[in-house]
Amino acid sequence: MAHLHADGDTLVVEIEGLDKLWALKSRLTIPLANIRGATADPGMIRTPKGIRAPGSHLPGVITAGTFHIDGERVFWDVRDPAKAVVIELADERYARLVIQVDDPRSTVDLVESLITRT
Amino acid sequence: MGRPRGFDETEVIAAAAALFANRAYDGVSVDDLVTHLGVHRNSLYKTFGSKRGLYLAALRWHVKHQVQPLISEVGAARDIDEAVRGTLAAHNDDVGALDLLLMAATERAPVDEEVRTEVSAALHALDRAVSTVLTGTTSDNGDQPAPALAEALTSALIGLRLRARATASPTESDLAGAALARHLGPA
Repeated sequence: MAHLHADGDTLVVEIEGLDKLWALKSRLTIPLANIRGATADPGMIRTPKGIRAPGSHLPGVITAGTFHIDGERVFWDVRDPAKAVVIELADERYARLVIQVDDPRSTVDLVESLITRT
Repeated sequence: MGRPRGFDETEVIAAAAALFANRAYDGVSVDDLVTHLGVHRNSLYKTFGSKRGLYLAALRWHVKHQVQPLISEVGAARDIDEAVRGTLAAHNDDVGALDLLLMAATERAPVDEEVRTEVSAALHALDRAVSTVLTGTTSDNGDQPAPALAEALTSALIGLRLRARATASPTESDLAGAALARHLGPA
């Protein structure tokens, strides 16, 4: 599970609880200018994820860490696919983040409103 | 860096416009988009950034390629009767020249500033086209109709279109439109 908040011109993604361990990451800081959009996407879990390195992948249980697919790096932290949000990035280490949040709709609204303002 | 997209962006945007014109924004999932547009999920995200990014592209495409031609047609009408019929006749084709705009106006414009900007611009363009026709029809006595009258007429036409769409009875709207035109037209 991840928690998002704005900090000045950046979006801070905090990975919570044990997921920190599985994802091998506890915090991501992304400049708002490098965020292209956010989408609630429960179906994302069914897309091919590519090769995991590093991180944890127990299909049906948890998808966490860095995955490589089509020459792109994608960060995953999802246990419950129904609460997955996809955040598309530009000029970042990751091409996109797929993270589980408490309330996908309000997370999408938050991210979209932050990047519309900039 | 990246592979060629392997799809025609404009075609995908047009197909998305058709999808969003007939279904609520929240009712269109990324699964629906992937299925109907035939584009891989990752490509969709890479190209449009988000579902909202694709929606905005679809709305802008709709305004430029479906609403603008209708507005030009209305602006070129000889009288208000022709303008009214022109706007209403659009429900007879299956393109639905105003449908996405109407959906956007009721659903997304109140909550999304960028959508609001697009919708307002399109409605104002329609107001101006209607105003041109109104001015033409009343130019005999030199009176300029207030722009507010054009706005009222545009609103009435949009209302009629909405009813035609909701009741599947274009005839009623045509009759109502004709009555409106008779009332506003030169005596």
